[in-house]
Amino acid sequence: MSELTHATAPKRFIGGQLLGSSQLVLGVILAALCIAISIAAPQFYSEANIIAILRQCALVLIVASGMTMLIITAEVDLSVGASLAFVGCIGMAVLNSTHSLTLGMLAALAFAGGVGLFNGLVVTRLRVNSLIATIGTMMMLQGGVYLFTREAVQNHNQLASFTDLGAGYVGAVPVPVILAALIFVVAYVTLRFTTLGRYLYAVGANEKAVRLSGLRSERLKLFAFVVTGLCVGVAGMILSSLMNAGQPTAGRGFELTVIAAVILGGTSLLGGRGSLFGTLLGVLVLKVIDNGIIILGWNQDLQMVVPGVVIILATYLDIIRNRANVR
Amino acid sequence: MSLASTASAKTQPSTLARLFARQELALLVCLILVLAFFSVTVENFFSVRNLTNVLGQASLPLIAGIGCAVVFISGEVDISIGSLLATIALPLIIIMNDTNSLLLGVGGALLFGLIIGAVNGYLTAYAGINSLIVTLGTMFIMRGGVYLYTGQRAIPDDASLDSFIALSDGRLFNIMPYSAVIAIILLVAFGYMMRHRPFGRQIYAVGGNQEVARLAGYDVRRVKFVCFIISALLATVAGIILAARVGSAQHTAGLNFEFQVVAATVLGGVSLAGGIGSLTGMALGVLILQFLSNGLRGLGLPTEWQLVITGMIIIAAVAFDEAKRRRANGG
Repeated sequence: MSELTHATAPKRFIGGQLLGSSQLVLGVILAALCIAISIAAPQFYSEANIIAILRQCALVLIVASGMTMLIITAEVDLSVGASLAFVGCIGMAVLNSTHSLTLGMLAALAFAGGVGLFNGLVVTRLRVNSLIATIGTMMMLQGGVYLFTREAVQNHNQLASFTDLGAGYVGAVPVPVILAALIFVVAYVTLRFTTLGRYLYAVGANEKAVRLSGLRSERLKLFAFVVTGLCVGVAGMILSSLMNAGQPTAGRGFELTVIAAVILGGTSLLGGRGSLFGTLLGVLVLKVIDNGIIILGWNQDLQMVVPGVVIILATYLDIIRNRANVR
Repeated sequence: MSLASTASAKTQPSTLARLFARQELALLVCLILVLAFFSVTVENFFSVRNLTNVLGQASLPLIAGIGCAVVFISGEVDISIGSLLATIALPLIIIMNDTNSLLLGVGGALLFGLIIGAVNGYLTAYAGINSLIVTLGTMFIMRGGVYLYTGQRAIPDDASLDSFIALSDGRLFNIMPYSAVIAIILLVAFGYMMRHRPFGRQIYAVGGNQEVARLAGYDVRRVKFVCFIISALLATVAGIILAARVGSAQHTAGLNFEFQVVAATVLGGVSLAGGIGSLTGMALGVLILQFLSNGLRGLGLPTEWQLVITGMIIIAAVAFDEAKRRRANGG
């Protein structure tokens, strides 16, 4: 058996080793999508459209970066959508009363990080299944945001720096895209090149083994929950800047889009397997599809149907390929 | 201290303690406490009218919860039921509007439900895709499909058949809403199946340990496949009652319904890990949440508080259950 694996190992081609083959498939899908859409609608490659796609990717990618880490540790967070709305309202309210972007941002981060901490503590200390725990948190946040404010929190002082957070540019690149890129790179480096990253994979693959080797698996999971929360904090502030208000109804279904992108990127819900690069491709595929549906003038409700098909199909292809590899 | 504990360990645990170890009894006590609390604090809470009203409201999560629990016990999840509610209302209402026949409408809806369940079941059991991903996908596809087909408008029930309207406001002997009667009949039937029929035992076996079930000669794939069909068909029944209640096919019907059902099922002690739990527990979980939200409304709390409190209760209940299990296993 071991001889067999030794014999097959060198045969793998370099591209596959670099990317991991599921990313390769996803890359091909992405390329095919781009080509198909641009043939049907040449304006797909206009600068304005590409910037629009990137801006839409930014919000999802920011939260998906944290979520990838979390799912790699074999946990999940369904409360990010509800938290996103709440964070936007709180950040906006603090901004209104203090006239300070820094304080508003800090409040948003503190709140969202607190939600992540709460989820993490419930999962690691009380041992509640994370799917259930975060459904509970989701309900509490959905109810809580309406107790906090029934209407949108309007932007009263129109700070230029706050508007720039969502709508500003550095050179030709939108600010949210830069923020997303920064968060993505930090998360990528952490997962890929640090001991902490290795440990996160290890916890997801075999928590017992990690505990027996003397690491505190609870702390690692807690870390992933808090990071996911902080990412939601950043995304929530960008969203409220884009909408120029804190909307209690924002973020409906956002958690599902984020999780769909992460799964599409090849990260296993069972933990221990996955990559941020895959997540990036997953986000791009979903948002290019969204964009294609709009510029081709198709019915926008297809934006729900197509990702559903894509998630199932991509996972199925992954399974078929794994079976072929085993043989 | 150590003497006392060894002594008590050797004697049989008291009858009361043994009863309390059963999940269902603890839940029953919770339900009675909820009922008692609101009977004292809310006027007219403990009236036949209000209690049967709540049972009527509880019928939707009760019926769909049976399917949810069956799928959980088999070791899988189904979060597509909310979207399914909206989907099957389309053939139901359209066929009824065309033919003026409740039977044909319900038949069409059940056929749709059967197909959806078969797709979920096939993709999970035979294609081997994680059921959370499958049903997340079909949840998107169905909701999007309904939006596409209806253009995000409700399709009203023009036939207004008496038998269909009776599903929403009719009462057996003028007391019990028909929807609650249907829920109770289905609960008893499926409760019997899960406990006393070979297929029910197969479901527990498959969820408890798939490998052992396979070695024991059970067709694991077929069992899971059928569980998804059961779940979809029961959600279809819930969807038919919902359509009767709102008198139309609503494109937003059942939004977040899956989370409500999953929460109640887990509160009822049905484990996501599979193989553990009972329909009685699930039913008690649903009733606790329904009476709680009804009572809180009676106290004049805004509906948002109900969400907050429900969320807290679910987390607390599962945490408590987990602590109990760990203590039982010796840490």
